[in-house]
Amino acid sequence: MPELTFTPVIGIEIHIRLKSDSKLFCSCSTNTDAPANTNICPVCMGLPGTLPHLNHRVVEQGMLAGFALNCGIRPKSLFFRKSYFYPDLPKGHQVSQCDLPITTSGYIEVHDSDGNLKKIRVHHLHLEEDVGSLHHSGSDGRLEGAATSYVDYNRSGTPLAEIVSEPDVASSAEAVEYVMTLRRRVIYSGASDVELEKGMMRFDANVSMKCSDGRWGKKVEVKNMNSFKALERAIEYEIKRQRKIMLQGGEVMQETRHWNDAKGVTSPSRVKESYRKFIVEPDLPPLYISQEWIDRVAARMPEMPDVKANRYVADWGIPREVAEVLTDDKNLAAYFEGCVEVGANPVRAAHWVRTEVLRVLNETGKKIGEFTVRPEVLAGLVARVDDGKLSTTQGKEVFDHMCASGSGIEESIKALGITEGGVAGNALTEIIASVIAANPDVLEEIRSGKDKKGKKLKFLQGLVMKETKGQAKPQEVAEAIAEAVK
Amino acid sequence: MELYELNLRDAIAGLRDKKFSASELFDSCKARIDSCEGKIHAFITRTDSTPQPCANPSGLLAGIPTVLKDNLCTRGIRTTAASKILGEWRPPYDATAWKSLKEAGAILMGKVNMDEFAMGNTCGNSAFGPTHNPNDISRVPGGSSGGSAAAVSAGYVPFSLGSDTGGSIRQPASFCGVYGLKPTYGMVSRYGLISYGSSLDQIGPFARTVEDLQVIMSVISGHDPMDSSSFRDRPHDFSRKDDFSLKGKRVALVKEFQDFTLDAPIAEAMAKTRKILEDEGAIITEISLPVVARYAVACYYALAMSEAHTNLERYDGVRLGYTVKDAPGIKEMFERVRSYGFGSEVKARIIAGTCLTEPTRCEEYYVAATKVRTLIAQEFTRAFGETEFILQPVTPSLPGKIGEPEEDAMKGYETDLYTLPVNLAGLPGLSFFTGYAGSLPVGLQLIGPRWSDSDLLNTGIILERHLGTPKIANGGEC
Amino acid sequence: MRLDAQQVNEIAQESRLLLTEQELDGAVRYINNFLDMLDRFKELDLKDVEPFSFAEALECPLRDDKVIPFTDTEAILHESGHVDGSYFKVPRIIEE
Repeated sequence: MPELTFTPVIGIEIHIRLKSDSKLFCSCSTNTDAPANTNICPVCMGLPGTLPHLNHRVVEQGMLAGFALNCGIRPKSLFFRKSYFYPDLPKGHQVSQCDLPITTSGYIEVHDSDGNLKKIRVHHLHLEEDVGSLHHSGSDGRLEGAATSYVDYNRSGTPLAEIVSEPDVASSAEAVEYVMTLRRRVIYSGASDVELEKGMMRFDANVSMKCSDGRWGKKVEVKNMNSFKALERAIEYEIKRQRKIMLQGGEVMQETRHWNDAKGVTSPSRVKESYRKFIVEPDLPPLYISQEWIDRVAARMPEMPDVKANRYVADWGIPREVAEVLTDDKNLAAYFEGCVEVGANPVRAAHWVRTEVLRVLNETGKKIGEFTVRPEVLAGLVARVDDGKLSTTQGKEVFDHMCASGSGIEESIKALGITEGGVAGNALTEIIASVIAANPDVLEEIRSGKDKKGKKLKFLQGLVMKETKGQAKPQEVAEAIAEAVK
Repeated sequence: MELYELNLRDAIAGLRDKKFSASELFDSCKARIDSCEGKIHAFITRTDSTPQPCANPSGLLAGIPTVLKDNLCTRGIRTTAASKILGEWRPPYDATAWKSLKEAGAILMGKVNMDEFAMGNTCGNSAFGPTHNPNDISRVPGGSSGGSAAAVSAGYVPFSLGSDTGGSIRQPASFCGVYGLKPTYGMVSRYGLISYGSSLDQIGPFARTVEDLQVIMSVISGHDPMDSSSFRDRPHDFSRKDDFSLKGKRVALVKEFQDFTLDAPIAEAMAKTRKILEDEGAIITEISLPVVARYAVACYYALAMSEAHTNLERYDGVRLGYTVKDAPGIKEMFERVRSYGFGSEVKARIIAGTCLTEPTRCEEYYVAATKVRTLIAQEFTRAFGETEFILQPVTPSLPGKIGEPEEDAMKGYETDLYTLPVNLAGLPGLSFFTGYAGSLPVGLQLIGPRWSDSDLLNTGIILERHLGTPKIANGGEC
Repeated sequence: MRLDAQQVNEIAQESRLLLTEQELDGAVRYINNFLDMLDRFKELDLKDVEPFSFAEALECPLRDDKVIPFTDTEAILHESGHVDGSYFKVPRIIEE
């Protein structure tokens, strides 16, 4: 009997907080970090008699996010009421475009297990309002143990895009690449900053398993994943769980399961899902979007990261690996392009940003937006190193000094006591002479022709570079030593 | 003549000409309320212990007392929708329609009774007990805006506001012998009106003359950015047109309604009104509304309940109103709050609405009803190609006795057939006084196409001239 | 009867309503009569009929993305029987 194989069939639902100053249906601030229940009003509190008023910018953010997922825009979309009772949901229903969304279908490309590109189809993106947030007071921090829960409605009514994929995802790795690529593209579009640490991206996954013997397990909806890692772990856990059941000849139940990040397990959800059909939101007429409006917003779409990376490779000869690192972050790519714009050699600048800038950001825990060395300054530094006015080592010293002190190139050079142009000419000749004089045996070996691989020459070069404190150009030193030992 | 007996126009003129002061008018109305309220019971909350300050002493309605149906939100003043579930809720904001009245200088005397969440047509389905018809206190004032109609009828105030989802202004206006307008959907902002069936609800005025309705409409109509279903750029000219004539205008009777039995006084009123219209040069015609006649009631209740159950989901005890503190879990808390807070009629309609929108039944009932509504609206559009107005009863019978055992609910709903099609198609409807049958007033209804509100009122003025203006009701002998 | 007492009770619970026996009896009768009334829809061919919207094609009005804080949040909190500090305090939530 052949061994049974299982193919996971996974669909992913993503909630992304769209960027706006005010909420989806009222003029309250979207700042959810404010003191509890201060950014609330009769509308987002669902008080009797209040009515929604749609935010123009959120509609455009939805369009931009849709474009980032290669979706089309529907000329007419509708809002619905999605009913369920929960204390963080003030009206007892969520207003959502679930049944006639703002976008049509789209896709995101990821790499499959063989490294080939495959499309994960996006069923649609729709706009909806977020709910309030719950805080639980269990002494052990576990929800189950909490005696009371506290509700903060600051988040109630903040705008969300829900993105529903087709069940095209075949592994947790694909899932992670899908959501990371999607996030990057949405950030590029300007629709959202998708700050993960602020919970601006949340995931649910529909997981089922297809067995080689023809059995097809029921779909399980896994909820409550708030990070890439949680998504990956939850999917892996669920694949293993379902596989085990099917191997034992059991049947996977169709259900909703809750991901417990602390325990690393999914368990049956205790909140009974009500699969209610939605009624049309009678307080909001249909949202009509003209082609003219679509064109206007589409014109604002920036270059997407993959297109950008391809351009770096094709136009500037930047290695693909470097190009992908630079375009991972929209602002980093903008920084790099800022360097090139003021005349830096693209390959050299790419290298500097990739290694030095990212190193410093990493060390200081800062974002590129907070980085003090401006692109034109870095471009100037790169040029000086390329011109040979500074050695690479000197260049890095100057860079570090600028990062740490906030001073400019000239100041930093001065502060470091570097003579521009480095140690050269007579100074270099003198150092070389003294190094050779101190190592007569090495000189002898070289002159006798024993140093076939040039190791001894390199050794002398190293000593000279050390004496010059790195302020000489390696090429010049090598040439001068070769001359001196003749 | 006492000041409380003045209609709105005369009260405005009297104050303007300084024939009396606002505080004299207030005192007169208050005294009238004090002497009658024990028998009529129109109020849920009185705010007339001292005069509320006038927000605009030079406004059109400066110093004019009024009352509001208690589903209109009033900032800092208890608003209950006649339900226990709202408890002592004081809204932190005003309904736009009330705000407009207040900014025109109107003085609030209180919040008046209604059927709970506007669900009912007797004003007896209130957590605060029934209101009595000022023309005959053994009878219902109609509903759901029964308190608003009774208050104007009894001379408490010269005008009031109510809301109409399926007849809730027109039917009590007719029962109490006052004029009531259900405006075109989108004419008056619904912001701050506690929703029943959002796509059907509309706020409108009650008064003792048609001209007074014009005055109120000129204040409360217009676009409101807070209500996305309120229309921009629509005619809001409610001034009286003295040259308005019915000559050559067509007024239709509905063919399918001719077979239905009416109480004799209502049938007589129809004949009398028809004659007046003809005398005024109107052409009486007949239109056919077969879909309306057979499907409007089912369509209306399916939609109203589907919307209502979602509108009532917000009452869970967390943020406002009646609540319980000792529930072991959140589900139990919600159940206890809602089971105690809602009355039986509301509960029945919530369950019906939930039932119709279940995924297994949604297409068959809710979605089907939204399509039937399209057919009904189209039927009216066609009809208004053949006529300017439709004349019909408001109800087939005169007001019943309070506490009469309710017949089968569905049969009760059928009596709304004359009023609710208007809401389905978003049309304006005027309920007008035609005379008395004994102590009871008899009202009829004139319907026009969307945005014909002003024409309806000008027609109403002509009818009022012939049919006479209603007296202040004194059934309570107060 | 399309719906028996148990079914109606389930719907009621979904609406977070607990019915007394008397209320349940009434609700069962009410719902079934109501569904009978709605049977009339079946006489109509609704296949190609669009759901209702106003003929004037009312469009969803949009507002500018401008923050206008509501100044009286205290008045909102004041109306709740569950406010604890600046939060609304509710019975424990079994699961997020």
